Amino acid sequence: MTRKHVLDGVKVIDFSHYVAGPHCTRLMAEAGADVIKIEALHGDSSRHLPVMKNDRSGYYIQHNRGKRCLGLDLRTQEAQDICHSLIKDADVVIENFTPGVMAKYNMDWAALSKVNPDLVMCSISCLGQEGPLARFPGFDYIGQAYSGVMGMTGQADGPPALSGMAFGDISTGAHAYGAIVSALFHKANGGGGQYLDMSLLDCLFSYHEMNVQVYDASGGALVPKRSGHQHSFVAPLGLFKCGDRYLIIVAIGPQWVNLCKLLGKEEWIDDPRFADPVIRNENRDEISEAIEGWLATIGDPDKAVKILVEDNHVPAAPVLDVPEVMEHPHMVQRGIVQTIDDPKFGKVKIPASPMRFSEFPEPLNLQASGIGEHNAQILMDQLGYSAEKVAELTGAGVIGSKDT
Amino acid sequence: MTQRMLEGFKVIDFTHVVAGPHCTKILAEHGAEVIKIEPLGGELARMLPMHREERSGYFIQHNVGKKTMAMDISTKEGQDICHGLIKQADVVVENFSPGVMKQHNLDWETLKEINPDLIMCSISCFGQTGPLSHLPGYDWIGQSYAGIIDLTGEAGRTPVFGEYAFGDVSTGAHAYGAIVTALMHRLRGGKGQYIDISLVEVLFSYHEMNVQVCTSSKGQMVAKRSGAHHGMLAPVGIYKCGERFVFLLGVNHQWAGLTKAMGREDMLKDPRFSDLIGMGQHKDEINAAVEEWLESVGDADKAVAILQEHGVPCAPILTIPEVIEHPHSKARGTVRTVNDAIFGEVQIPRTPLRFSEFPEPPDLRAGTLGQHNHEILREQLNYSEQQIANLETQGIIGSKNI
Repeated sequence: MTRKHVLDGVKVIDFSHYVAGPHCTRLMAEAGADVIKIEALHGDSSRHLPVMKNDRSGYYIQHNRGKRCLGLDLRTQEAQDICHSLIKDADVVIENFTPGVMAKYNMDWAALSKVNPDLVMCSISCLGQEGPLARFPGFDYIGQAYSGVMGMTGQADGPPALSGMAFGDISTGAHAYGAIVSALFHKANGGGGQYLDMSLLDCLFSYHEMNVQVYDASGGALVPKRSGHQHSFVAPLGLFKCGDRYLIIVAIGPQWVNLCKLLGKEEWIDDPRFADPVIRNENRDEISEAIEGWLATIGDPDKAVKILVEDNHVPAAPVLDVPEVMEHPHMVQRGIVQTIDDPKFGKVKIPASPMRFSEFPEPLNLQASGIGEHNAQILMDQLGYSAEKVAELTGAGVIGSKDT
Repeated sequence: MTQRMLEGFKVIDFTHVVAGPHCTKILAEHGAEVIKIEPLGGELARMLPMHREERSGYFIQHNVGKKTMAMDISTKEGQDICHGLIKQADVVVENFSPGVMKQHNLDWETLKEINPDLIMCSISCFGQTGPLSHLPGYDWIGQSYAGIIDLTGEAGRTPVFGEYAFGDVSTGAHAYGAIVTALMHRLRGGKGQYIDISLVEVLFSYHEMNVQVCTSSKGQMVAKRSGAHHGMLAPVGIYKCGERFVFLLGVNHQWAGLTKAMGREDMLKDPRFSDLIGMGQHKDEINAAVEEWLESVGDADKAVAILQEHGVPCAPILTIPEVIEHPHSKARGTVRTVNDAIFGEVQIPRTPLRFSEFPEPPDLRAGTLGQHNHEILREQLNYSEQQIANLETQGIIGSKNI
């Protein structure tokens, strides 16, 4: 068997843009799927996001490697015909327009399930395909606000804080990936095609590993609130300053005993005021004071982490910035940063895919394409169009390309 | 009734707390038979709140749909049981610190000899290799090493962390995707394989921009935490409105809508705000104008309605009770109620994977500690009642109604 990767041979038609959808199809391309990305003639808006070099976006490269690109005007009948022909022969369609847009182009599930009943179609949206908020445009932060995630981030006495990365978009892309592969597995096992409705809101809301249940089960007595750098319900779990750096310390499991010994507070081990993480939280200030006092005597954050984690098995970590993460020996050894050599942009570093398969240890060498870079190739090789027909469609503005 | 997607597949689950259990919960929700193996005292999640009758709502949330066994896997007998089950299984999932499975003769090298078609997935904070791999980890430890906590909070103040385990839960979802991919590979004629998933790598992949921008700008553009407002773009951020907060984003084509909504068309014509860079340079002035307008509206719901009318992406910042009660959450069924025999009703977030062929999430329960010890040993490994009783007497298996 000479399969280049797990999803070799799976055909994906990709109508997605920005991050959530493209990240999903990136994961599929990295797993060997044949992804054809369909863009409007002006391209995915993320082609303009920084850093730009030679008119080429590093941002776009990160999320779109390994995809062949078709540039076309979806409003025209001819372009819709092209899409339907490609979809007839495809396994998966992915899109992340605002709900309703695909229907305008005759590309909704009702239309496509007739074109290809075995199709797996996945829509990714901010707020889902139905419900009172579904029609509004959304970004990651909008989903974070509606899911209660944003409200749970920040100092208790201040406004909520923005997170500096798109964890809603990327992780929804990964959820969509898992859902799509499940549906493909179902199809390969004799099931038919189906439609998947993924939303940022659902994914973000599922990250409340505790809040929903605690609020409900306490009969509303415990209302989760943002509490800055200390956890609301359990202790010790928080950020502490050591020298010029912050450390996170989490001692809510059996490590509590080791921490007590380290702090010279052996008497706390059997003290009923510190019996479990929830009761300890009522006496949190006393614990924090002891931790801060101890950290002050150590002074050096690296040394403190070593004593806590290596010597005493108390989970703790230094808070690193992005350049520090990239240079950390552990991340270097794991290959957490991947370098892409783009023909126009040059070398660009991006986060590697977190999925590591023993049967396919080496990542595929994938490049990102220009707008409509594979127009002629796809139309001629896959749909049997003549060169004249391709030229005619280009002349009519139905398809187009740009080396960007 | 259509067969669920993973019906007939068997998963042996050595996971605890959140990341691993969330993965095997999704497998269970799709029809897999999940057998969760816990230590005799139960796993840590059983100690986490809320508790009723010693039963943890936290445990229920992450363990619905699994059969439970409780045993001492440091004993030869315990390991024999595990090997017997794994021989018949399709998937093993674990999230111990690296090295622990090997101590118990349950590492990949051992298990692939027992079952060459096995798919084994290890979930850890740092991954199975590298200098940090042996260290214990939690979600926020991973967030620290992935450069995420540093980016959250007010500039110049202590960073903050989001109080929800997005690293754990989403790493579980990544692991689910990887496992199903490997099952698909096997179905198409491939072998079993080993999957190494780490929180740090999953969390690091959430930098949809920061890594590339940092290196491509040769270190000129390093993302920093900037509190309620975006550090480089304006207006993007969280703004006070009456007693509440509103998130809004008014860059690119939304800027025209926002200036109109605010009655500040003059700003649209101002050459200082003609592009993203200029707007970023004058972000204090722009943010002040937004705040002034929101103050004049005074009510967050009213402001959101006006902004939505003008096509400006925005949202009220909701609390957990507000999310649960929101008509949109109700319409979507975002909150699920589990009926636990001991705990009673408990609300949890719905798993976000929605399939048209399987529109209703199955009604699944969480097992008590060691609930299925007898059933599994008898039915799957042909142990006699006498053998099972002996294991209990020796303290190798056990159960408790929690």
